[in-house]
Amino acid sequence: MATNDSIDTMTQAEPIGGHADDIMTVRDLVVSYETGEGKANVVNGVDIDIHRGEILGIVGESGSGKSMFASALLDAVEKPGQVSGDITYQPEGGEAVDVLNIPTAQLKSLRWEEISMVFQGALSSFNPTMTIKGHFDETLRAHDVDQDEGIERARELLSDLYLDPDRVLDSYPHELSGGMSQRALIALSIVLEPSVLVMDEPTGALDLLMQRSILSLIDDVQEKYNLSIVFITHDLPLVAGLADRLAVLYAFEIVELGPSDEIITEPGHPYTRSLLKAVPNLDAPLDTMQPIEGSAPHPSNIPAGCTYADRCSLATEECLEEHPPFHDVGTDNVGEASTDADHFAACYHWERARAEMPLEIDADAHEGTVDRDRRPTADDETVVTLDDVEVHFEKSQNILDLFEEPDIVRAVDGVSLEIPENDVVALVGESGCGKTTLGKTGIAAQRPTGGTVSYRSQDIWATKDDGIGDIAYEEIRKSLQIIHQDPGGALNPNRTVMASLAAPLKRWQPDLESEDRQARVLGMLERCGLEPAADYANRYPHQLSGGEQQRVALIRALLMNPDMILADEAVSALDVSLRVEMMNLMLELQEQFNTSYLFISHNLSNARYLAEKSDGRLGIMYLGEIVEIGPAGEVLSDPKHPYTKVLKWATASVEPDQEVSEPPIRSIDIPDPVNPPTGCRFHTRCPEAREVCKHESPTLGGDVEGGRVHSASCFRDDEDHEYWDSEPLTDEDEMASIDETV
Amino acid sequence: MNYVLKRTGRAVFTVWAVITLTFGLIRLLPGGPMQALRGYLMQQNPSITTSELQARIEALTAISPDEPIWVQYGNYLWGLLHGDLGQSVWLNKPVSTVLAERAPWTLFIMTTGLFLMFVIGIGLGAFMAYREGSNFDVATTGIGILLQSVPFYVVGLVLIAFVGYQWELLPTGGHYASSVTPGLNLPFVFSSIKHATLPVGSLVLTGFGGWALNMRGNSIRILGEDYLRVARLRGLSEGRIALRYVGRNALLPMYTLLLISIGYMFGGSVILEEIFAYPGLGRKLIQSIGRRDFPVMMGAFLLITIAVVIGVFIADLTYGLIDPRASGGAERESY
Amino acid sequence: MLNVSRTDVDSEYAFEVTAEETLSRRDRIRHRVDQFLLAPARILWTDWRARIGLVIIGLFLFLSLIGPSLVERPEPLGPLLAPPWPWGTLEYPLGTTYLGQSILSQLVHGAPNMLKMILSGALFTVIVATVIGTTAGYKGGTVDGVLMTISDIAMTIPGLPLVIILAASLPIAGNPYLIGILLSINAWAGLARSLRSQVLTLRESEYVEASRIMDISLTRILGIDIIPNLMPYIAMNFVQQARWVIFNSVALYFLGVLPYSSTNWGVMMNSAYQKAGAVTSLEAFHWLAVPMFAVVLVALGLTLLAQSADRLFNPRVRARHAETVTGENGPEDEEESEPTTSVGAVS
Repeated sequence: MATNDSIDTMTQAEPIGGHADDIMTVRDLVVSYETGEGKANVVNGVDIDIHRGEILGIVGESGSGKSMFASALLDAVEKPGQVSGDITYQPEGGEAVDVLNIPTAQLKSLRWEEISMVFQGALSSFNPTMTIKGHFDETLRAHDVDQDEGIERARELLSDLYLDPDRVLDSYPHELSGGMSQRALIALSIVLEPSVLVMDEPTGALDLLMQRSILSLIDDVQEKYNLSIVFITHDLPLVAGLADRLAVLYAFEIVELGPSDEIITEPGHPYTRSLLKAVPNLDAPLDTMQPIEGSAPHPSNIPAGCTYADRCSLATEECLEEHPPFHDVGTDNVGEASTDADHFAACYHWERARAEMPLEIDADAHEGTVDRDRRPTADDETVVTLDDVEVHFEKSQNILDLFEEPDIVRAVDGVSLEIPENDVVALVGESGCGKTTLGKTGIAAQRPTGGTVSYRSQDIWATKDDGIGDIAYEEIRKSLQIIHQDPGGALNPNRTVMASLAAPLKRWQPDLESEDRQARVLGMLERCGLEPAADYANRYPHQLSGGEQQRVALIRALLMNPDMILADEAVSALDVSLRVEMMNLMLELQEQFNTSYLFISHNLSNARYLAEKSDGRLGIMYLGEIVEIGPAGEVLSDPKHPYTKVLKWATASVEPDQEVSEPPIRSIDIPDPVNPPTGCRFHTRCPEAREVCKHESPTLGGDVEGGRVHSASCFRDDEDHEYWDSEPLTDEDEMASIDETV
Repeated sequence: MNYVLKRTGRAVFTVWAVITLTFGLIRLLPGGPMQALRGYLMQQNPSITTSELQARIEALTAISPDEPIWVQYGNYLWGLLHGDLGQSVWLNKPVSTVLAERAPWTLFIMTTGLFLMFVIGIGLGAFMAYREGSNFDVATTGIGILLQSVPFYVVGLVLIAFVGYQWELLPTGGHYASSVTPGLNLPFVFSSIKHATLPVGSLVLTGFGGWALNMRGNSIRILGEDYLRVARLRGLSEGRIALRYVGRNALLPMYTLLLISIGYMFGGSVILEEIFAYPGLGRKLIQSIGRRDFPVMMGAFLLITIAVVIGVFIADLTYGLIDPRASGGAERESY
Repeated sequence: MLNVSRTDVDSEYAFEVTAEETLSRRDRIRHRVDQFLLAPARILWTDWRARIGLVIIGLFLFLSLIGPSLVERPEPLGPLLAPPWPWGTLEYPLGTTYLGQSILSQLVHGAPNMLKMILSGALFTVIVATVIGTTAGYKGGTVDGVLMTISDIAMTIPGLPLVIILAASLPIAGNPYLIGILLSINAWAGLARSLRSQVLTLRESEYVEASRIMDISLTRILGIDIIPNLMPYIAMNFVQQARWVIFNSVALYFLGVLPYSSTNWGVMMNSAYQKAGAVTSLEAFHWLAVPMFAVVLVALGLTLLAQSADRLFNPRVRARHAETVTGENGPEDEEESEPTTSVGAVS
């Protein structure tokens, strides 16, 4: 078996075991499930040591077995999964513990007291009918820890994590925002002072800014409480700055392991190299970003040789036949097996990989680049104009609430924006900033409560209500389309791909023959790489992968032949390596169909990729307002608004020397949009805020309408503003007080 | 507080709506109670004058047919607020007196039945979920499905035929033996329980299966939740997990179900009490239909409905106590 | 994967493509039949519970649709209160009544009325609930508020007493269809309420929004995007309501408070109880037991069917059973055997 091979080689070279102070050692870890077709290994022979006091990042795409690995470290794999191999825990100055073979009672105290875990999705990790304090209490009691002492520690931990202990402890889980409950969960996981903390995508469901803030808090907490952390994620750039070492997981096993900066600068495994290039980020040149073709093997069908061979451009006979052992690929002592080796890759051709797969390539060498021969010019007509648009929601009312003052959520508050033909505008902001509402208002899927939305200079809602104007409302409706975030939810689960795609044609070209309609759909499927098209057309959505579903949604929008498409987080739900591919497809089809995109994302890297590649604009939103907008390159290279700088900070890059720094904001939680701060809305979190920001609201300067001028709504943009004479706001206490629930 | 206020408002509103409906039924239905009563009275006393007739009707139904409809309605409401449900045609007693002696018995067997069903069903369901896939689970699931398909009166009739008549173990009708004196004394309590055993038994026997299956489904869903996994990792005792985690969270949807079934149960009292000759509101209702005693009929209907409204109201309020999410936010509705 | 170069893109412009081969009419019909008839039948047949349920309900349908033409009307010609076979003779396999009518014949001739009541009651409930629930959920606002307040009240009113009162005062004259509807007079309320909350969720779903943005008409959105997704629930409630109608129609006929024009199972029980004292003496108990057993059996069949309703409408299951749908071996298996819990990897 493949696993045996790797073990043999391992013992020969002794590459991993040599470290003096390992808190955990994992040997030949296999997690398997019985399936209809035999055994499926979802962790397939993993060997790794966890050093005392380190942060070990484990990176893998979804389905690579990383969550199973995390559970196995606590011997907590859910039935009917079976775990084999050795996991040894070495407490400081104590006796080694064989984690997989200890009595239940001992396992019970090992978990949480010595090795603890944080799950993704904090909200589902808490009992919805118990307060946060209840969770702390019962945990302390179950482990016979003094209640007062324990709660005192919990309070300290919570305030270390920028939370107000009193408020949080008395809250029920649903009363906390995602970021807050995730931090509360981290506090809960280390309240018993464990030595090892396993974190499984602990920031997966959160905004970038919150992710980065939590990461920097984890860094602090790790130091303060002397933790060894295993941080599991699909997001390589995110963990790169935090972790001391990185392990790359592919197809249920570790393919590369080494110090973070070496993995990032000189990875030895072709997969790591491709992964690095596939991830959209802020700094790398656009053309170096390339998708990885193909897909990972199925757990019940793992190839005997190298698992990556069928996707690898360097693969040879050898790779297909024999499972590659770890090679020492450390840069300081290349090729020599030495005891202090610390960088390994399971690849025969790691030297060739380094030579032939450069991380940075010339733009010319890269095929498939979208050369934009068309970009918006002055001649292009404006498709959609938003003029001082406001969208205010009333919080739900019922028949007996008539006498209460309704709470008003100001989702969008006074935004003006023009989108010409063939343009790309990317809007970026944290969740709850109103970007989706703004987008839907822009395609007339949401009626604004103030201001006007026009299509080719004709007021859309006036057209709908009164039927005035030269362009029929139907025409407008057809011209503004949408692609949603969740590819699974965007298609009716009860209809085949063909039925879903034929619907727009039936509606808009009713005289089309059924055969022609089908031929058109099949043509588009083929065009978007869904081949064989006839096969895909007959599938139900659940029979498609996320990327395929998203393409079908894109096809559906394009079949309407629209002038503008709202792409609402259209790539966020896809695996990292598929995002670039999807965005490339979007841009290629844009050329062909002459549409504009309004691209909405919470991820600055994705927005940057799309906007910069199409020479489009980038807008930054905060609490219902656009605070900065301009050509993508300019906004990113010279951000004018402090919030843009914060977002930039929050967007992890794969720079080797980056360190996790303190968040450059004064409060990491976003204020309640029901009651936004006065003056500049960002002043409660802005590191540069001064007295004047509390009372006066800045406006977006420059010629916003249609122009491609870079402008920001910040007093700092104006050299003569009274801001410069105002007192800086440095109230530390504000931190906790702004911690609003959502 | 706001939550309590809201629910109270809804309960009051429902009662008002039912009163209005009752009024509408009496007054407006073509060939409805009002006309039937008029016909009945004229048949009994063919020489009755129109004004006598009106006066008689007004005395019986607390509705004066001459007045404009809104005055009639106002008077009817006003009367009800003072506990005036009209006069029984048959017994010549105030309807409120007739019903007051019946209502406690209906309440007694129905709440006992519902309570037992709920408790047995929940306990059993949770246990089945813990033993998911075992022989015990499969067998109880089968029995549950089977019992769900048997109407309670079928079990009731079989029980009467065998336990009552053939083996003469328990009484087949009535609410207590004629030999005991009502009051807080042991023979009376004993006799009441003995008389209630068969009706309540037939309810519980056919009802608990559905509750158990439901609870089982809920518990299995909760057993798969992330927070349960985290709770186990945190080393909590199985007892605490079973009670505080699985039990409590699986119970929440059951409570909503309870809310709905209160209406069904009390409605069913009509059948149950008739079969067991149990002198409660339901049996009175059927009797009054046979005797064409419309004031009693309407009064019984109103009273049963009010009992349901109160039941739902109590369940609603306590739901806020067991689910912290209920009192906080309303459902999100936009558009 | 994107191996289409820019040159062949232009020639392959999807909007100008027309069909090269036409699907024959017969193929299409075959496809339809497979999708809407054969596949559901195959799905039901794979589940033993559904199989038993189908057999029972099939038997009941046979009894009520064809039975009356095979079995003679019940005439008072036989021996009085003859016991059922094997205690009695095969001439009267289920025994006779106190007037000497064949109980089997009564059972068969009572069945059509049962079917009519069940169908009308269950259909009425499901249709009214679907209309009210989807309208309230989709329209929202005041319409929603009013409809749901009405539903709340209707839900609280105990159904049976209301039914009895209405039956006593309305001129329905034993029409089984009307009785069925009357019995379901407020049963729609609970279903409407839960359908509404599901519609609220579905309405916000992305594919419904996409349809809206494509300007697909409201009726089509409701008919294609919303109601099919509610079908498992609606089907389950149809069956449950059918059960409810049987239980309570039989009960009320048994108590003698509903008007009737021809016999049915409840009337049989009433006669057995009232006229032959079937409860007090065992001599006539079979007269009571036969219709009771029939009610239980039909209810059991319905319960079993309700339990498999979910499978019938699940596209995952359906895809596996439709022969004309291919390509199910790929991603689906992956999904089923994928034990990791990476939910929505969002960075």
